Amino acid sequence: MLSRSYIRRYVNVKKMMRDVLSYKTGSIIVLIVVMQIMCILFVPRYCSVVNFRVLLRAIPELGIVAIGVCLLMIAGEFDLSIGSTLALTALIMSLLFKNGLNIWLSFLISLIAGSLIGAMNGLITIKARISSFITTLGMMMVWRGVVLVLSGGHPSTFLPPLSFHAILAGHIGLIQAQFIWFVGVAIFFWLLLENHKFGNSVFASGGNKEAAAAIGVNPDRVKLICFVITGLLAAVAGCIGVTRVTSISALQGQGMELQAIAAVVIGGTSLRGGEGTILGAFLGATIIYTVQNILLLLRAPGFYFQLFVGVIIIIVVTLNAMIKRR
Amino acid sequence: MERENPLIEMKGISKKFGKVEALKGVDFTINYDEVVGLVGDNGAGKSTLIKILSGIYQQDEGKIYKEGREATLLSRKDSMDLGIETIYQDAALVDQMSILRNMFLGREITFFFGFLDKKSMGKKSLEVLNKSIGIAGIKSPDQVVGQLSGGQKQAVATARAIYFKTKILLLDEPTSALSIKESQKILEYVQQLKEEGISSVFVTHNLYHVYPVADRFVVLSHGKKIKGVRKRDTSIEELSKIIVSS
Repeated sequence: MLSRSYIRRYVNVKKMMRDVLSYKTGSIIVLIVVMQIMCILFVPRYCSVVNFRVLLRAIPELGIVAIGVCLLMIAGEFDLSIGSTLALTALIMSLLFKNGLNIWLSFLISLIAGSLIGAMNGLITIKARISSFITTLGMMMVWRGVVLVLSGGHPSTFLPPLSFHAILAGHIGLIQAQFIWFVGVAIFFWLLLENHKFGNSVFASGGNKEAAAAIGVNPDRVKLICFVITGLLAAVAGCIGVTRVTSISALQGQGMELQAIAAVVIGGTSLRGGEGTILGAFLGATIIYTVQNILLLLRAPGFYFQLFVGVIIIIVVTLNAMIKRR
Repeated sequence: MERENPLIEMKGISKKFGKVEALKGVDFTINYDEVVGLVGDNGAGKSTLIKILSGIYQQDEGKIYKEGREATLLSRKDSMDLGIETIYQDAALVDQMSILRNMFLGREITFFFGFLDKKSMGKKSLEVLNKSIGIAGIKSPDQVVGQLSGGQKQAVATARAIYFKTKILLLDEPTSALSIKESQKILEYVQQLKEEGISSVFVTHNLYHVYPVADRFVVLSHGKKIKGVRKRDTSIEELSKIIVSS
């Protein structure tokens, strides 16, 4: 009887539709569709080639960071230092390049630096047994301070070779390189989380650390790896960002930590760990940037951005909670 | 099967945490098809002993033998390789994950490079769940464990233990967080597992929880073994007296 109901679940179309709606990311998919239709109908210049490009250029930076944050949050930890990590790694690449190092080598070193920063967050959190919220809050300030010292607080230009620019921030027809990277990263981590045994360990480490340890999973190791991935992805986003705008500001990435957490939470990931999807983080980042884009197109003052994102967070999380309770 | 030696034999196990001597030369055996009640007051060293056997702590002194052969347990993995499974208060399942994912956690069936073979895991878990008794309400292996009742969770944990050919189940205070009905269920499962050829060690500070199912009792007090006795040679009154007066 068990197998029949199991099969029925996959054959019954009506039930499948219901499943899609009550699926983890169901409410956010509905929201994003409604939002896009409204934008196309009511926001001037939204549905245009130029704006499409802008969206595909800007979403990936927040999106790539959010994927790391999502993974880490499922494992039960936070990283508030990503905005500063992003600025520091971008600055490292830019400084190395300006001092004559090969651009690809500079890029690689910057990615390694991001991973090491992640590893440091992880090691301090795990070894000292303190909340990652505190560790990374401290690190957020430390690395921002380092960025300010290194850059002297002044913005500077970064003009990489064209080939480098093309691969990180160029475009093929309408499609931006950043967006290809973003989709690639998302697919990779979706595979890792949903279809690889490491994903199982991540969910278990965030869901019930003791149960995971009892069955032979090492939650500390899993968490450390997730911290490293988060740092690495922050570096990727930082390097893409600085290549796109060809200049670096000491305040780059400020506020991104909360935007990333907002994107991930909108995407249905639990703050308590053990639950969440990469697709959710992907869509969450898209929603957040779409709000910003709409406001830009409407020439609304910047502070509306926070207001709307705040409202969206509360609406979506409430919806998710209601669906879950049913 | 050769059964000259006990399933597990722990000899002269000592463990110190800083200056605190948690265990002082404890001998402990687990035989085939047996439920051992490991009892004693809080702080007697029961949990430490169980954690050494599950590979979480390492003993400072003493030796562990599995079927007569010396075994070194440096990690949970080593202990699992000997067929030792543990169930803690919350049944060792992750609430947020599906039955299927819980079932194969840490022992996933994979294709290549660790990618999950979800199809065969789904098939296997259906098989296992259909076989075990008393799982009313479990509709599919994709159901999230958090939605199950305490008894159903226990059934899933038990099914997992049977599927992975566990030889010894360590239950550390499994009944302390459960309702009377649910702890009754656990006792039934321990009995059921014994019939499947799985020995259990049932750790509790409440003698009354373990008395109905245990075949033998080991009483610890302040890190020492003060009594080891078969059920047929003792009574619940005598055991209570030993624990209280120690």
